[in-house]
Amino acid sequence: MAIKFSPTRRSVLKGAAASSLIVPVTGIYSPALAQKRDRIILGTTQEPVQFNPLLYVNAGAENIPEACLFDALWDVNEKGEFIPNLAARIPTMENGDISADGKVWRINLKRDVKWSDGQPFTAKDVEFTYQTIVNPKVAVRSRSGFDLIKNFKVADPHTVEIELERPFVPFMWAWQNMHIVPHHLLSKEENINTSGFNAQPVGTGAYLLKTRTAGSHMVYEANPNYHRGAPKIRQFIHKFVPDQLVAYGQARTGEIDYIGVSGVPFDRWAEAAKLPDRHFFPLGQPWVQFVYFNCGKPQFKDPKVRKALYLALEMQKAIDDVFFGAYKRTLSYLHTTHWAYNHDLKDSGPNPQLAAKMLDEAGWKVGADGVREKDGVKMKFSMSTTAGFPARQATQAIFQQNWKAIGVEMEIKNMPASVVWGEYTTKSQFDTLLVSWEPTVGMDPDYTARAHSKMIPAKTGSGSNYTQYENAEVDRLLEEGVRQTNVDERKKTYARIQEILLEEVPFGPQGGVYQGQMTHKSLQGIKPNQYVVDAAWNVHEWSWG
Amino acid sequence: MSGDVIGYILRRILHSIPLVIGVSIIGFGIMHLAPGGPLAVYTLNPTITVTDIERLRVALGLDQPIHLQYLSWAKAMLTGSWGVTFFGGRPVLEVILERVPATMTLMGSSLALAIVIGTLIGILGAVKRNSIFDYLATTGAMLALSFPTFWFGLMAIYVFAIQLGWLPSGGMYELGEEGNPWDLLRHLILPVMVLTLVLLATWSRYSRSSFLDVIQQDYIRTARSKGLGERQILFRHALRNAVIPLVALLGVQLPTLFSGALVAETIFSWPGMGRLFVDALNMKEYPILMGMIMFTAFFVIVGNLIADVAIAAIDPRVKLA
Repeated sequence: MAIKFSPTRRSVLKGAAASSLIVPVTGIYSPALAQKRDRIILGTTQEPVQFNPLLYVNAGAENIPEACLFDALWDVNEKGEFIPNLAARIPTMENGDISADGKVWRINLKRDVKWSDGQPFTAKDVEFTYQTIVNPKVAVRSRSGFDLIKNFKVADPHTVEIELERPFVPFMWAWQNMHIVPHHLLSKEENINTSGFNAQPVGTGAYLLKTRTAGSHMVYEANPNYHRGAPKIRQFIHKFVPDQLVAYGQARTGEIDYIGVSGVPFDRWAEAAKLPDRHFFPLGQPWVQFVYFNCGKPQFKDPKVRKALYLALEMQKAIDDVFFGAYKRTLSYLHTTHWAYNHDLKDSGPNPQLAAKMLDEAGWKVGADGVREKDGVKMKFSMSTTAGFPARQATQAIFQQNWKAIGVEMEIKNMPASVVWGEYTTKSQFDTLLVSWEPTVGMDPDYTARAHSKMIPAKTGSGSNYTQYENAEVDRLLEEGVRQTNVDERKKTYARIQEILLEEVPFGPQGGVYQGQMTHKSLQGIKPNQYVVDAAWNVHEWSWG
Repeated sequence: MSGDVIGYILRRILHSIPLVIGVSIIGFGIMHLAPGGPLAVYTLNPTITVTDIERLRVALGLDQPIHLQYLSWAKAMLTGSWGVTFFGGRPVLEVILERVPATMTLMGSSLALAIVIGTLIGILGAVKRNSIFDYLATTGAMLALSFPTFWFGLMAIYVFAIQLGWLPSGGMYELGEEGNPWDLLRHLILPVMVLTLVLLATWSRYSRSSFLDVIQQDYIRTARSKGLGERQILFRHALRNAVIPLVALLGVQLPTLFSGALVAETIFSWPGMGRLFVDALNMKEYPILMGMIMFTAFFVIVGNLIADVAIAAIDPRVKLA
């Protein structure tokens, strides 16, 4: 059989008419040409699911609606200094707002601030925010710092007085991280966890939420009555592009003006830095990547052994090979650019010969199978992290080789995030972890929750000292550090803590985490700030040049 | 529709009730038995202590025994809201329904194109068996099935969005163009192309083998010996019979109209159900996951039921009993 193709004049004309439709559909797509200068599009790979700043925060993605819609009492700027937001001034001992014993804090609030529904902002809102944070029925993301409040008093409509159980200098950070919610709306809610407010929030922030298209984007309009001055850009759009490579592509084509949070993929940094009309900058994130040793396991009880294991690792090589040099080597739980970083710390690794010698001295001798052992215990253990994270897997592979060279056997045992960071971590069931963590109270150098012996959840049921590290001097210094108000004295305290931690290595720091951010060149006012995870922390100052 | 058919449909619906309950128990059980849980995301936040996590466990009802958790979920499911999400506290039904239009648009267009083009390729391949066209179609189908969707997707974006700049790289509408059908069409082209390619491969293979079966039957030879034209043989005699297994295939694929495409939706930033599922899975959002499992189970049952009824309608040999 045969099907004949015999075009007639009529069928050719029909075809031509149909094909003419295709051209306007595809057209030439160049959003950059059509870019409207009264709006900015910020793209992130993750999507915020709720906008109540007190509830769960998916770090990065949910900080954006938080920064657009709400205000905290004060912010931290790119230099790590506190600047007033809803507070009229920053409380200090010098201005008398903090009592001489450091226990009583008086916070003066701005008087001209209104919620976006027109109601005035008052001390009642601050009190209600505090009450919500300590309300056990509300799924508040954290009470850190607020559990020290002994007494909370509204002195007048624009002043609150807070009495702490004991002096706690990082208390500043607790409020920096907590945005104030409206008393007049949320106090009427029976259940804040499921309140409609969480999807339709009312705040005091620079922008107002107009629309949200699930899975696609959120549109904000400038708040003309914003208390720090109306934003210069009328419309702010937060767009969700789940694939990082595609998000980078959109930042190149101009479909997004600013790629934030997960940012430009590491392997594209060199290319991004050369793009015309784009401004690329590496931005330090609060996290530091560590190797966590479980000091409760027989292999890791001896600090000398942990130090030897740390010394054997090619930390810088792993940064260069895996992260394209994007992470910055640090020897502490702080970035080297943090004000409290101890610059006297010395990197004595990698030194496999010394590491092997130290293990020999500690009694871990190489056995018949090439693996070290002591008292019947083999120097064999696992290392876990989130599965499906190629950069971390590659890092683990390098460490595995480093340790193998000195008779130490490490098995890579990665699991989904919801497994590895569940009880496996919190009940200290792991051997070692590869993990990135930030300090525990904002960016304050206080590290009590991670390093104090009373903070081992497997033993005491509270804290996040998952390595089960115990050191009496570190305990004492940590307790002292949160009481010291003099910055120089604090620096000395935390310098000593960092020194001990580098000597005893409960966690071996690898590098400070950086992400590649890229904006349109004419977007101005963006202040890269390593003290927050929030790309939009100063969104009210952004403008088109 | 005859009374028999209505009775059959009613019986099938009744039979599917225990099935749905079974699916829900198995789904709920497996989800809760799997290690880890929704609270693990909090561990990564250093300001959250173990005490905080315990408090959240109680606030979210995760401290209850699993059978009580199941019962309270089932109650919420039957009373309309389908429960509330762990993160954000929104009604699950609302969260799911806002994603349905996007997924139906994407999957509907891809499936329709795949059916039309795939069936034509299959017919042509069967009729011109072992021709160059047939070999090309077979090889093409194998390639389309073997290459991963994410690779196709990224290549399509690289070529058409980044290098040529003809089409947007993702999303459903240009910002500010919501509801504009031309804009939707531009955004549909790349993801539909990628999804169609994969679906097309399946459809062309199925329709080719089904057609091959039919055109070798005695009654086709009889028709030909009666002197009927090839076109009449193909479309009147062969197509009707060859289409029967394809209807069953359509019944199986119907649920994807609602469950979405996991990979393609992620690559193309398509705001559909596939992405909702991936996000919910990452965060162990049990209420959303359960809602989606039930939603999909419902359409699997409906899809199969429609296919069975449709097959009975077009194939007189099949009786609904």
